[in-house]
Amino acid sequence: MTIDDVAVTVNGREYEFSVGTRFGQIPPAETLAETLRGRLGLTGSKIACNEGSCGCCTVIMNGEAVTSCMLLTVDCDGRDITTIEGLEDPATGRLDPIQQAFIDRYAFQCGYCTPGIIMTTKALLDKNPIPTQEQIGEALSGNYCRCISQYHVFEAIKDVADAARAERR
Amino acid sequence: MSKYERRYTDYKYIGKRNTRKDARDIVTGRAVFLDDFLVPNMIYGRMLRSPYAHAMIKDINTEKAKALKGVHAILTYKDVNPDWKLGWPPQKKILDEHLRYVGDPVAFVAADTVEIANEAIELIEVEYEILPAALNGWDAGREDAAQLYPELFERNVVTPGFPVFQPEGPFWHLEKGDVEKGFAESEYIIEDRVEYNKMPNPNAPEPPGVIVKQESPMNFKVWATTQGSMILKQLASFGIPGANFKVETFNVGGSYGNKQMLTGLVMCATLLAMATKRPVKVFYTKTEQLQCYENRLGSQISIKIGVDKEGIVNAVKGKWVVEAGALSNATQGQVGVGLGEANLIMAKCPNWDLDSELMATNRTPAGVARGYGGMELNACLNLLFCRALEAGNFDPVDAYKKNYVSHGDTFVWRDGITWTAHTMDFRNMIQAAADKFRWKERWQGWGKPTWISEDGKRRRGVGVGIIGNADAGEDNNEAYVRIMPDMVGNEARVIVQMDITESGMGQRSNLAKMAAEILNVPYEKVDISDPGTGEHNPNALGLCGSRGTITYGRPVCEACEDLRTQLFKLAEPCLRVPPDTMELVDFGVRSLHRPERFITWKELIPKELTLTGYGKHVETFGSPSCCIIFLEVEVDMDTGKADVIDMLSGIDAGQIIDPASLEMQLQGGIGSASMDSALFEENVVDGPTGRVMTYNMIEYKWRPFNQFPSFDSSILESQFDTFQFKAVGVGEITGAATAPAVMQAISNAIGTQVSEYPATPNVILKALGKL
Repeated sequence: MTIDDVAVTVNGREYEFSVGTRFGQIPPAETLAETLRGRLGLTGSKIACNEGSCGCCTVIMNGEAVTSCMLLTVDCDGRDITTIEGLEDPATGRLDPIQQAFIDRYAFQCGYCTPGIIMTTKALLDKNPIPTQEQIGEALSGNYCRCISQYHVFEAIKDVADAARAERR
Repeated sequence: MSKYERRYTDYKYIGKRNTRKDARDIVTGRAVFLDDFLVPNMIYGRMLRSPYAHAMIKDINTEKAKALKGVHAILTYKDVNPDWKLGWPPQKKILDEHLRYVGDPVAFVAADTVEIANEAIELIEVEYEILPAALNGWDAGREDAAQLYPELFERNVVTPGFPVFQPEGPFWHLEKGDVEKGFAESEYIIEDRVEYNKMPNPNAPEPPGVIVKQESPMNFKVWATTQGSMILKQLASFGIPGANFKVETFNVGGSYGNKQMLTGLVMCATLLAMATKRPVKVFYTKTEQLQCYENRLGSQISIKIGVDKEGIVNAVKGKWVVEAGALSNATQGQVGVGLGEANLIMAKCPNWDLDSELMATNRTPAGVARGYGGMELNACLNLLFCRALEAGNFDPVDAYKKNYVSHGDTFVWRDGITWTAHTMDFRNMIQAAADKFRWKERWQGWGKPTWISEDGKRRRGVGVGIIGNADAGEDNNEAYVRIMPDMVGNEARVIVQMDITESGMGQRSNLAKMAAEILNVPYEKVDISDPGTGEHNPNALGLCGSRGTITYGRPVCEACEDLRTQLFKLAEPCLRVPPDTMELVDFGVRSLHRPERFITWKELIPKELTLTGYGKHVETFGSPSCCIIFLEVEVDMDTGKADVIDMLSGIDAGQIIDPASLEMQLQGGIGSASMDSALFEENVVDGPTGRVMTYNMIEYKWRPFNQFPSFDSSILESQFDTFQFKAVGVGEITGAATAPAVMQAISNAIGTQVSEYPATPNVILKALGKL
């Protein structure tokens, strides 16, 4: 099968790319991470290990947290993708509650891995707004942070989950 | 009363938790890191690397590679000035026919894309002559060992001394008193050899990278992932004499001291930029970072320690063999710091003969990593110190209190000079941390577990490690702080002009807090100049070695005080009161006693101009820090698997500048190839080939997010006489005592000495006699 073009929705906007090896086209080997960063200028997610083991490139695709360095863009036709840049309300500037909690709890040090951690958290809380500590840890087990923000990240996510719990009551 | 004690007590910002200035950028993905940045017309540099640990290039042919479309330059040793060398002393040609480690650059390639550069690398034809390799620091000193730099170093021993750090002369041998007499007077004496030589990798999430643009024949603009642009400039200037490097940085994605000099990358990008006249980006892959970039030092000691009947160390004699790998880039500084830290920990010991040798080996060059030589030495030294304490059945906490440096003690620091400890006394801090950990209750004695499961299969033990550093006052740094009145209205912005790279410690914001505190302006009104070297900032050596508090704080504070003095003087004709009865308030100057007399800064500063204050810090090593680590491990006696289940970090950082960033500096001690280098974290090197096998993040094992021990801290806030805000930097040392504490806790849990790093299940089962 030959794929001539690929359409993806990123942060609510649809993009169509021509697939091929000519200048400007998306080659079949291009990863989603490269497309997001190199073509769309969405540099919040990072390419660090480039083999799916650090989680720095995490985005949400059709509701699931995925490592975008492990996906070929040509395989993403028709998918709905949210990146870290898509969480803030573009009209009001209001942050997602997760982002706000990360600020309030100082849940980062260098901040390089933080966008990936936030996107993994977003995918988790969208499905399970009040996760246990174990579920949070399990969801984030593919996100590498070497500065040690882990303890503060747990606090931040707990704040968001506690707010969700309070809202339910 | 000290000179700083009169002012600054009722703080608005200091000690309070403030949102970091880049917080919103970080959580929205807007924070810019090097790989997010583009320079117009930029091309990409890659390296062909040696597959052998030690080899000579017999023949190299780049014709096919050069013919590939999109390739702009290919450089080999034939193309590069052989006098341009890396390291201190200058030792390794930037490109050389003599290859000294797996990953040593064979050729530099510049191309339109990374993919084309990689394809070109495949087309370079090389014939190698494989040589025997020296893969261990201890063995590298033998007469029959392979020689890395036969024309420069004898027996692979690197020339001691790094003049920048040791201006009075090389320091590599700690000698004082009379060791033989010291041993004769000692009650308990132990002697052994211990290694900490798995050279783990700090592995910052962001790999190292640079972009270099040639602006005129010998002037280069460098954008880099360095946490210290000045250090990069300094070391790069040794590499290409006469070249001038202007360095700019962005947010740095973790460093832990490890991403500073980047000399190899800078040289590659610079030579390719010279050859192509295009900006060249060299950004390592994770595999290159893990396989060919700077690791921790290797460390082995053969040592004899004597303690007296009170548990105070009375004599130390031995040799520390430090493994630098294939390139020593100012590693002598780490040797000096290591010896100095040993002296801090055993500060009451009058008799020393601790020699060192820095060895070149055919392994990946070691670089800087959090702990800076002191951790690598202490990982070995502490085990033997504790064996001597065990011989006398001393409680290690009591012994640390007795031995650790205190106000009035003398010690030799990395410059080889004897310093006197000033203002610090950590005995209360040690006791407070011990109490919070419930040490007295949990410690059952040497070789005794704190808990055994009912079935006897799991045992727990506690351990305690101590470390300190006097580098918190090192280097001369300077700052400008400028007041820029707002265009509209009567307020002003305060601009801290200092070279401060943000690599995670939050110091850009913490220094802004200091300026806000002294000038009495809202924190939000303080800006900080973009980080980079002396062209747009005054000089500062970078936030390494815990310098960010004293050596950056003092210049900022002094510059603000200079501004205040200037403002009071300018206000005198208007307020008609003496300057010492004025205060800064509401972006203006007001009389303390006649508050109706007030004038704005805007009125005092000529229109369209700014007012500039200047401050500096001059190096001093008199204020050592201290960190004590308590932890508990659980060992599975069947499988040999050990893990830390609970830990506490004790510190006295002086006045807290920012509680959250301090807490995270303490937690950070778990990362950066520290604690887990005692459990499972290591660089696995294939013996016969010298090749690093842990070259990706699947193979290089580290702790996932959901496997962290419970963590607590005990923080005292003594008001140290260090600088305006009475604090001392501690980030360097927070992980540096963790590894030996783990070993001690394991030994106590299982009742048998374990001294082999890391204490993997195999090591523990061997110690238990089960293997």
